[in-house]
Amino acid sequence: MKTVIKTQGLSKTYTNTAVPVEALKDISLEFKEGEFTAIVGPSGSGKTTFLNVIGGLDKPTKGNVIIDDVDIASMKESQLFDFRLKHIGFVFQAYNLIPVLTATENVSFIMLLQKRPKEEMNKRAKEMLEQVGLGDKLDVRPNKLSGGQQQRVAVARALASRPDFVLADEPTANLDTESAFNLLDIMARLNREENITLIFSTHDQRVIDRARRVIKLVDGAVDKDETFDRD
Amino acid sequence: MPILFTFAWRNLWRNRRRTLITVSSVLFTYLLAVALLSFMGGFQQQMTESLIRQETGYLQIQDALYLDEPSMDHIFDHGEEVSDVLEQFGDKIDVTVPRIRGFSLAAKGMTTRPAMVAGIVPEKEDKLREISSHVTKGKMFSPGDDFAVVAAGLADLLDISVGDTLVLIGQGFQAVSATGKFQVGGIVELNLPEPNNTKVYLPLERAQWYFDAGNRLTNLLIMPHDTKRISQLATEMEENLDREWYAVRTWKEIVPDMVELMEMQRLVYSLITWVFYIIVGFGIFGTILTMLYERMREFGILLSLGMKRRKLALVTLAETVSIGLMGVAAGIVAGIPLILILIRFPIRFSGEMAAYMHDFGMEAVFTFSMSPGLFINQGFIVFGITLLIGVYSMRKIFAMNVLDAARS
Repeated sequence: MKTVIKTQGLSKTYTNTAVPVEALKDISLEFKEGEFTAIVGPSGSGKTTFLNVIGGLDKPTKGNVIIDDVDIASMKESQLFDFRLKHIGFVFQAYNLIPVLTATENVSFIMLLQKRPKEEMNKRAKEMLEQVGLGDKLDVRPNKLSGGQQQRVAVARALASRPDFVLADEPTANLDTESAFNLLDIMARLNREENITLIFSTHDQRVIDRARRVIKLVDGAVDKDETFDRD
Repeated sequence: MPILFTFAWRNLWRNRRRTLITVSSVLFTYLLAVALLSFMGGFQQQMTESLIRQETGYLQIQDALYLDEPSMDHIFDHGEEVSDVLEQFGDKIDVTVPRIRGFSLAAKGMTTRPAMVAGIVPEKEDKLREISSHVTKGKMFSPGDDFAVVAAGLADLLDISVGDTLVLIGQGFQAVSATGKFQVGGIVELNLPEPNNTKVYLPLERAQWYFDAGNRLTNLLIMPHDTKRISQLATEMEENLDREWYAVRTWKEIVPDMVELMEMQRLVYSLITWVFYIIVGFGIFGTILTMLYERMREFGILLSLGMKRRKLALVTLAETVSIGLMGVAAGIVAGIPLILILIRFPIRFSGEMAAYMHDFGMEAVFTFSMSPGLFINQGFIVFGITLLIGVYSMRKIFAMNVLDAARS
């Protein structure tokens, strides 16, 4: 299987605090195409920092992040904007949909920034919303959707542009059990059907139980890296 | 790209009330500024018109030295040279009004008062200021008449009336002693206190005789057809006169103090307008800042997703400029009929205010003026202010730390 992300000696130290904080310590990992990985660990273990660094939102203090044979750690900000847009899908804990856009427009938004043809955008957005069970909510704005529905729109948005991988930061943290299971079912199905690499940071056992690979971080370092056969 | 504008437009209406209040504040400031400047324009137009008709005309032919030293020694010969020029530019000239005037002492019996003796041609003066209609006793002289018309204030001071004899003593052309006895044929009520207490009108020829001035004049007022190109006309006329002896002055050259006063007025009104704009500018600024800060997280997310800062900055700029444009558009829609109504139905004064305005020779009405420039200039100013605020919000977007914003 093709390696989608490779980190080499990744370290991140925050120096803008009273005492320098080592958030990531010498992390070297590889993520293969189609993997469903959960990054777990206690609060402050470096899960979100790791996602931010491999998502190009934050720069490592040391080490490399190789994606598509390119080290994104050495990219300029403007290159990173393009890179994120082309290669990475994001799902956030608080859904973060654009409140003034409808579900379809939210899902189309990334493709719009990618300058995809309008017909393709609309078709894909509709298809994705149908896949996440929101085919009847195409023209509804986020404030008329439940938390679970909003997160499903966010998942559709992240996957619609067919990124190389999706980073999901605690995506089920704000959801009730039914909505969380529903979302995980959808994401697992899309992972299989679209062969998209999914990397979650999570505390949620429900997510961990679905993941085929679980990486545990403790104090910014990899404590465990286990794979499971879930099929 | 259209969805980005849709995005901006919908963002504006997220908080409908706030946007409407901001647009309204732009609208009312714009209206207030336009009304204020329209009033100033109308007032100055009225004042200028009054000054030009009462005193200066748009242009004057004078002796070359008269402006610097307005005395009887610097009066000019209204002869062939001047007549030729007037004939040459006849198609550009509506009316010419000849005047000769100088200070004298006016006496009746044992009472003496300073007087401004003015030789005029009433038919010509009437085309400017209808002086004949202000005669309250007796009548205004006609060609061939040989009597004086005295201003009402001076008549009271001298206790003189129609039929009495007025004695004038002064200095004529080239220090000749000017003396004369004139029968008072009329009393004229003048608006301004100073002329009303000093003016004695004589037929032009009699005044020229009194001052021993031949056919000389102190000034020849010119009212051109096209009042917008008076400087050009003055230059052209002057080129055809001997500049050693003659000068063609514009009203602005003749009364620079008045021009300065009007400039000051304009400055004060502009300052008031700018105070309005600064107030409304801060209002818009506050709204835009609120809109900006309450969406920091959203901006962070949009940038995380891959939206370029430039595009996001354009969205915020479009939002700010839209507020300004909506306010200005509403201002124009409301402002044009408002000013037209105020021009058609000016506000009239009564009582002391009316008397005060009459004293200055003006009609007791608040007049307004309208020019396309008035609306366009104010529109550009408001647009400029919103653009400036928009640029500030753009700068914020460019300086934003994506992660900090997304976490906020």
